[in-house]
Amino acid sequence: MAEENQTNTNEDSKLVGLLAQFDDPDSLVAACNNAREAGYTKTDAYSPFPVHGIDPALGIKRSILPFIVLSIALGAVCIGLGMQWYTNTDSGTISPAFPGYPFKISGKPYFSLPANIPVTFEVIVLSSAFAAFFGMWILNKLPMLSNPLHRISRFKRATNDKFFLMIEEADEKFDRSSTEAQLNQWGAVAIDECRQDLTDNVLPSWFRLVALMGALMLLIPPVVIFRSMGMTNRAPRLHFMPDMDWQEKSKTQTVAPTMVDGENLFLDMRAMRAPVEGSVAWDHLNADTEMHQGIKRDYKAVTSVSTKTGSALTSLTTGQEDDAAAPAEEDLSKYVTAFPVGIEVNAELLARGQNRFNIYCSVCHGYSGNGDGLVNQRAVALAGTGKATWTAAKSLHDPIVKDPAQNPLGRLFDTISNGRSMMGPYKSQISVEDRWAIVAYVKALQETGIKPPGSEVSPAAKTPADEAPEADDSAIPKPTP
Amino acid sequence: MHNTRPAKITSPITSLNEGYVRTIPLALIVGAIGIGVSLVLCGFQSKPFLYNYLVAFCFVLSISLGCLFFVTIMHLTRAGWSATVRRVAELYAMCTFPLFLLFLPILLTVISGTDTVYSWNVEGYTIHADAETKADILANAPLPPLEQLKGAFLNKWFFTGRIVAYFLIWGGMAFFFLKNSLAQDVSGDKKLTARNQAFSAPFMILFAATIVFASFDIEMSLSPLWFSTMFPVYFFAGAFLSALCTIMLTCLWLQRTGRVTDEITIEHYHDLGKLMQGFVIFWGYIAFSQFLLIWYANIPEETFWYDLRINQPGWKGLSLILLVGHLFIPFFLLMGRGLRRNRILLTISAVFILCMHWVDHYWLVMPHLNPHGDHTFQLSGTGFLTGISCLVGMIAIYIALFCLVTRNRPLVPLQDPRLGEALNHEVH
Repeated sequence: MAEENQTNTNEDSKLVGLLAQFDDPDSLVAACNNAREAGYTKTDAYSPFPVHGIDPALGIKRSILPFIVLSIALGAVCIGLGMQWYTNTDSGTISPAFPGYPFKISGKPYFSLPANIPVTFEVIVLSSAFAAFFGMWILNKLPMLSNPLHRISRFKRATNDKFFLMIEEADEKFDRSSTEAQLNQWGAVAIDECRQDLTDNVLPSWFRLVALMGALMLLIPPVVIFRSMGMTNRAPRLHFMPDMDWQEKSKTQTVAPTMVDGENLFLDMRAMRAPVEGSVAWDHLNADTEMHQGIKRDYKAVTSVSTKTGSALTSLTTGQEDDAAAPAEEDLSKYVTAFPVGIEVNAELLARGQNRFNIYCSVCHGYSGNGDGLVNQRAVALAGTGKATWTAAKSLHDPIVKDPAQNPLGRLFDTISNGRSMMGPYKSQISVEDRWAIVAYVKALQETGIKPPGSEVSPAAKTPADEAPEADDSAIPKPTP
Repeated sequence: MHNTRPAKITSPITSLNEGYVRTIPLALIVGAIGIGVSLVLCGFQSKPFLYNYLVAFCFVLSISLGCLFFVTIMHLTRAGWSATVRRVAELYAMCTFPLFLLFLPILLTVISGTDTVYSWNVEGYTIHADAETKADILANAPLPPLEQLKGAFLNKWFFTGRIVAYFLIWGGMAFFFLKNSLAQDVSGDKKLTARNQAFSAPFMILFAATIVFASFDIEMSLSPLWFSTMFPVYFFAGAFLSALCTIMLTCLWLQRTGRVTDEITIEHYHDLGKLMQGFVIFWGYIAFSQFLLIWYANIPEETFWYDLRINQPGWKGLSLILLVGHLFIPFFLLMGRGLRRNRILLTISAVFILCMHWVDHYWLVMPHLNPHGDHTFQLSGTGFLTGISCLVGMIAIYIALFCLVTRNRPLVPLQDPRLGEALNHEVH
């Protein structure tokens, strides 16, 4: 042993340190104190139970783990809240690539702190627990698959009734013989060399083969999944959870279930329930009539929307035509003559209006708004041969359309929203702001001085005669070949 | 450096040492002045005074109940570390019984059949009188009127009977623990500890049952229409938190005045501080749980209670003060080993939490003084001064009660079998 002590290594093993055994906790603490005072830093103590005062005796500093956990927890607050904000808010503006999932749940705002606290709390708890658990692993250099200490048979009693102090060879002050002398002087009962066996660093020969086979076996599930993609199977599917596959529920637009007594669950037999009277669907209040209908705020409607709906229902159920459904004399004074508050006419709005106009309107009205869109041309041609009925699209440069008295801004907006004559409503396709943008663009188009078709013939005679705005015969465009 | 201390009391002074003889009359005088000032400040009107009195009463009652819980849970878990601070808690818990006398002014308004404090206590009481506008619709619900349903529980004699029963049960439990503990000081009989432990389990059930209904009766029935099953837990969370603060402050004061200097160490304060932080979080957790369920369900008979406290400007400010002062500030004040081992910081935290505990009860009780009218009195400087002077008076009387219960009794258990464990207690 004496020769090896000088080199600290031989071919088969390497000296890790010296392990001194003590018989009681007090002598262990005393030895730890001595070791610290002698200048040893790479030391560790092993005892069957927590010994009070061992940390300061070994010179162990307070763990930084609490600060790791705190910083991870504070980060978790940001992640937990940020994730909910990012996914819930109704804004494609955050990122055009991700529009978000704005779900309305029991009438609460998309992002409301009380609802987000529980998830945030759970994220904090989970990440703090992980930070504490894995931080402890990392700080303790775990997992350690083998520890040379376990090769010392005496060390087994560290979990029973003996106390050990280890001084590592890596310590600057370590010297094989003088350290051993010091340990003896401090009252060590026995001293062992802790040696790491270098021979067993080599993997066993069978290990590579088994590892390879295991890796190959892992490939089986993805291969099976890949193979079954696109395959058909005539066998009926398995129902693992029948109560989930056949739920006791009524789907939308169906008849309500029949009860035991033969009665329908609801008197009106519908499975769906009508909303409470007076309730407004989210984002459908549209209280600003100037903005959403183009009708002046102080205008008192003769019939409200709800009564119209009611009468329409009545006519449906009774099978009779309702008089109210007939077109009545239109009160042009109800329409707004200026853009509503919130719509600012500028180059940006006009550009948007042009963009929307070219998408939605130009197919019939033409890019110049002169009623020469391709659909219109084709339809007029077909109508000429009697194969279709078609009312030609109006030229937007028609004097009636241009006349602010007969077609105030609000009426143009109303036309786009609800359609007029043969023209269909575009309310559902085009947003309110975009409809106003189109109105602005149409007004701009009208300023270009484009002559409406047929105006060369007799513009002065036609214009006053054409009282009904719906009547469109004056503006039949000539189909261009 | 590491020596096991023998399980022996070494402090020269282990009792109040006749100090109580001077303290009791002094405390009673301060108490009378405090309550007198409070009466003057609210112009000798019985209703505002009794509401402030109720706030102060709930403050001291919750401390005693928290101490009773402390003793019970320490026996139930066979805790060794707390043996040296348990006696203080036992003595505070024993104060619950005489506290019944302090509840008499409120109980008398119930027995005399007036609605000075509890609006349910008069014939013809309707939920309209209580309900604010949003819950009016309930009056037309196809059910027996709510006041009739709740009247089976909230009526004069049943209420009085329950209150008497609570104080008897609490007093009985506290007396049982204190008697056994004091007997052990003399005899050193370990069986007494075993008996305390055996009884702590049924006592815990009894404690839970009584504090639930007591909080319903004393505080929650101020708003008899309201529903919340979380309220007793909320009451309990505040009670145990303030009890921990009171135990800690009492021990700090005893040691400053040269009593039990050796038995209570920084390790005990450290552990009390940990429990305090834990229950600061628990209070926040419970307060939020109560709020979240009501906020999410959005049912008028529950939301009006929060509506009053969140949508009224003054109460909204107080709610925010509670959120920050009762949860966030103490949470960070008590975070970290260094902070929890600093006696000065611990004193500041404990006093601060106790102040917040009073704000908490003010916030619970005072909005119901006149739910329909304006709240300028409760939210004015005079209103707060009335409450604070009443609180000072109540605390003074409470101190007198504590001295009366303690007298020359030892402030630490002299022969507890776990004394050695407590004296050698060390936390990491």
